[in-house]
Amino acid sequence: MRPANQQLVPASVWARQTLRVCALLALSTAAIAAGTPAGTVIENTATVSFDLAGTTLTITSNTTTITVVERIDVVVTLQSPQILVAPNDTNRALLFRVTNTGNGTETFALAIDSNLSGDDFDPVPALPPIYFDTDGSGDFNVGDLPYNPGVDDPVLPADGSVDIFLVNDIPGTVVNAELGFSQLTATSLTGTGAPGTEYTGQGDGGVDAIIGTSGGEDLDVGEYLVSEVQISVIKAQAVSDPFGGIQALPGATITYTITVEVTSSGTATASVFQDLIPTFSTYLPNSITLNTAAVSDATDADAGEFDTSGAPTVVVRLGDLTQADGLQTVIFEVTID
Amino acid sequence: MSDTRKGTDMKNLLSAILLMTAMSVSANAQEQGHLNVTTTVQKEQVTVNEAGETERQLVAADTVVPGEKVIYTITFQNISDEPAENVVITNPIDESLTYVDGSAFGPGTDIQFSVDGGQTFASREALTVDEDGSDRPAEAKDFTHIRWVMQQELAAGAQGTARFSAVLK
Repeated sequence: MRPANQQLVPASVWARQTLRVCALLALSTAAIAAGTPAGTVIENTATVSFDLAGTTLTITSNTTTITVVERIDVVVTLQSPQILVAPNDTNRALLFRVTNTGNGTETFALAIDSNLSGDDFDPVPALPPIYFDTDGSGDFNVGDLPYNPGVDDPVLPADGSVDIFLVNDIPGTVVNAELGFSQLTATSLTGTGAPGTEYTGQGDGGVDAIIGTSGGEDLDVGEYLVSEVQISVIKAQAVSDPFGGIQALPGATITYTITVEVTSSGTATASVFQDLIPTFSTYLPNSITLNTAAVSDATDADAGEFDTSGAPTVVVRLGDLTQADGLQTVIFEVTID
Repeated sequence: MSDTRKGTDMKNLLSAILLMTAMSVSANAQEQGHLNVTTTVQKEQVTVNEAGETERQLVAADTVVPGEKVIYTITFQNISDEPAENVVITNPIDESLTYVDGSAFGPGTDIQFSVDGGQTFASREALTVDEDGSDRPAEAKDFTHIRWVMQQELAAGAQGTARFSAVLK
């Protein structure tokens, strides 16, 4: 989670961020070949040799010249898997990569849209909602700096890329299994349009720029899935008095039966059942079972113990539970003082 | 080069410009040793006419984008009074271009390729390239030069054409 004060960034940090982004881009530039760089001039001259009246001669043709113009293209690709969220989660991040697939240097504006159709709820963009993966970790953390539109629009060389987070909060009204979409759009600042649209003189070094197949703009959509694990816990008791009855008399035994079950999608990780021994009762030693298997009172390698380090407590570790695990049954006994 | 949706008037105008371009190229052509040789480079322009039909035409390739195909045409004429023998036309393939396999064309010529910067030439099938210590058949991307070897003499006044296509990397 990002502390609120991280959202105010002094001007000096903007400058540092720009430098870092550039450094990152330089590293990723060499990876692939984007095509012949804009501004390249290709000359061609043919040569003809022949024998005329017994003399061998060689002549050259005129030289043709082609100038490679800039093709503007961009690709946005979601890097994150589906993000599992719970109601009221804050600062949940989706990671995207923006790649300049054209053959010249381009500047791109970034925009978020979380108000999309086709999903079940609208994530709420954080303020600010777009961050650079400044530290290159792939995880959204305090080292990552926010994007300031118009101020630090990423400048990408041909084949260069930059990793971007979209950060959203999850409304409290969502329920399990609902989907929420959030979209990142990268738009060339030179221009957009149908493929083939020309921007005269606006390419690298003053060559013409032509919109490529991307239209000069691309987007991708990330998904949040509400996966709040719901657990049902039911506790039942049975009293057995010393006289064969069911009266809660001193000396009577109470058998507690607790059933735990995951009733939704998702995983309850490292689930631990804990139950305080009620006052005016005493735990009956070695009475804990988990799914009918005995669990020793000692703190050891098995699934539980009778913990007397504080208030006397029965502890049973249930591990990672999903709906498929079904009912988990813990039983222990106490005697009434 | 501007609007791709040109009307008939625009197309006529374009044809006129093309003619002018061709004329100016001719004026630049070299006239040495009694042979005249001219190179032009063109690309295919696809336009949609007013009837919504796609039309393709060759236009001067002043500018290209990666992935675009260009067509080089070399025309030569014997302007002397005697036949020219052993006529060989050689054209490099710029390193930013990839030869389009099968595109080389030249009536009455034997077409050969080089994969070593024009030092040696052989037929398409005979060329190999060393890769990781073993030879493999040469591919279109390996070609550095093309040459057209005329099978017969070029008579006085006769002319010929050589052509190939390449794609901008």
